[in-house]
Amino acid sequence: MLLDYDRLGWLKAALLAFTALVAAFLLLPVVFIVLLSFGSSRWLAFPPPGWTLKWYQELFADPSWIEAALTSARIATMTAILAVAIGLLASFALIRGQFRGREVLRGLLLTPMVLPVVVFAIAIYAFFLRLGLGGTTIGFVVAHSVLALPFAIIPIATALEGFDKSIEDAAIVCGASPLQAKLRITLPSIRVGIFSAAIFSFLASWDEVVVAIFMASPTLQTLPVKIWGSLRSDLTPVIAAASSVLVALTLALMIVTALLRRKLQT
Amino acid sequence: MSVEAQQGIATSRIPSGLGGLLPALILVGLFFVVPVLALLLRSVTDPAPGLQNYAALLGDGTYVRVFFNTFVVAFVVTVVTVLVAFPVAWMLAIMPPALASILFGIIILSMWTNLLTRTYAWMVLLQRTGVINRALMGAGIIDQPLPLINNLTGVTIGMVYIMLPFMILPLVGTLRAIDPMTLRAAALCGASPLAAFRRILLPLSLPGIAAGGLMVFVMSLGYFVTPALLGGTSNMMLAEMIAQMIQSLLNWGLGSAAAFILLVVTMALYALQLRLVGSKRASVGA
Repeated sequence: MLLDYDRLGWLKAALLAFTALVAAFLLLPVVFIVLLSFGSSRWLAFPPPGWTLKWYQELFADPSWIEAALTSARIATMTAILAVAIGLLASFALIRGQFRGREVLRGLLLTPMVLPVVVFAIAIYAFFLRLGLGGTTIGFVVAHSVLALPFAIIPIATALEGFDKSIEDAAIVCGASPLQAKLRITLPSIRVGIFSAAIFSFLASWDEVVVAIFMASPTLQTLPVKIWGSLRSDLTPVIAAASSVLVALTLALMIVTALLRRKLQT
Repeated sequence: MSVEAQQGIATSRIPSGLGGLLPALILVGLFFVVPVLALLLRSVTDPAPGLQNYAALLGDGTYVRVFFNTFVVAFVVTVVTVLVAFPVAWMLAIMPPALASILFGIIILSMWTNLLTRTYAWMVLLQRTGVINRALMGAGIIDQPLPLINNLTGVTIGMVYIMLPFMILPLVGTLRAIDPMTLRAAALCGASPLAAFRRILLPLSLPGIAAGGLMVFVMSLGYFVTPALLGGTSNMMLAEMIAQMIQSLLNWGLGSAAAFILLVVTMALYALQLRLVGSKRASVGA
């Protein structure tokens, strides 16, 4: 009866209580940081002695925060476009191709997801120092695309695997060119996978800290580098304000994703 | 499918063979494989050819302690994560869909929230004068603030927090795939809930636990951000040591060698994980 929700008996109460505790644990830092950002204490006393918006004023008055956020958005957008384009081509080859060593190549392309980021970070840092690409936007986009590629390939390949190829073949039999069939039949059918790929590769770049710490220059900083720098010097409430903005963006992204998925699937 | 159609697809210029892989292979080959190999080369040539960097790493007590410490932290984090994740995944697998979607929402919100944001929250929460110490003191449970940060406790709390979704989500899949009839049959045959758990539910979910646990362990081994911010200097972890060797000490030889040791251990464990679940399931589950 252990997998029968309605017949668990006393165990159900215990397990539900534990699950509720874990849910609270997962929510705690997110809720806490938002509340803290409105607290008036510079020393992060909690509960705060009063409520204020001054940390948000300080955040939006500081051009270095805005600039870091724009840099991150720019790099993450370019990374997502590059990773999805390359990932789309690669997924077709991995799922449809008939050649030896396919599994090995798939494994190779997914390796950047498994290898500890710090190893890749110092490797690409040394490499870019030689090429003169350190601290450049192109360098950031290329390094982040390597890390984002697995997150683009996995959802697209999964969607493509679930797509019945005979529909595409039917279009070709009916006179469409192979390219037309792919563009007008296959791509629309796997759009949920492509959409997930775009979101995940954007996030892979937007949230990336370790490579960014090594790559950043005084003139080119992403948002995580800016937060990292502030965290190491002091725990100012301005970070809480910046973090809350990020939480709001995450929530918005989750809602948009849920809505779009529902729309794309019908 | 007609023969013509098959030929048409085989000869089409849109990727259906190896060609489509080319851009991906160039990107990964040039900007991943080459730099990593160059790093390996550096570990045996910088400052002089030979294995002295590896000898230095494995012969010095300080470095060996970092390796040992990294394994201990990763192990503790994995065990705690599995113990906490299992009951949650169990409930998620069988609870009514409405309730489950709320819980999934919470898990995804925590997972998608910026990593530094989450770590910052724990830094503030776990401080000497932080909310948790004050609450415990206010409740009269302790009279001195507990040292919750800059030590193993802080790292464990912060890492378990980050790893939980990676354990819960695949486990839900494993648990949902178990046929409830097997447990009903056990109950009919007179098995107590404890016996049914030990002899049926646990063994059937073991592959999921092993795969998820191994993934958490591998991720924890190379983690940088959380240990660097929540850990102390006396129990530094490997990733932090590597970053320090390169960034502050500019000791490329030693840093590359340490990085390569981390790479070999990680890849060996990853290969083991692929064996456990089969390459396809592992890649999708991650």
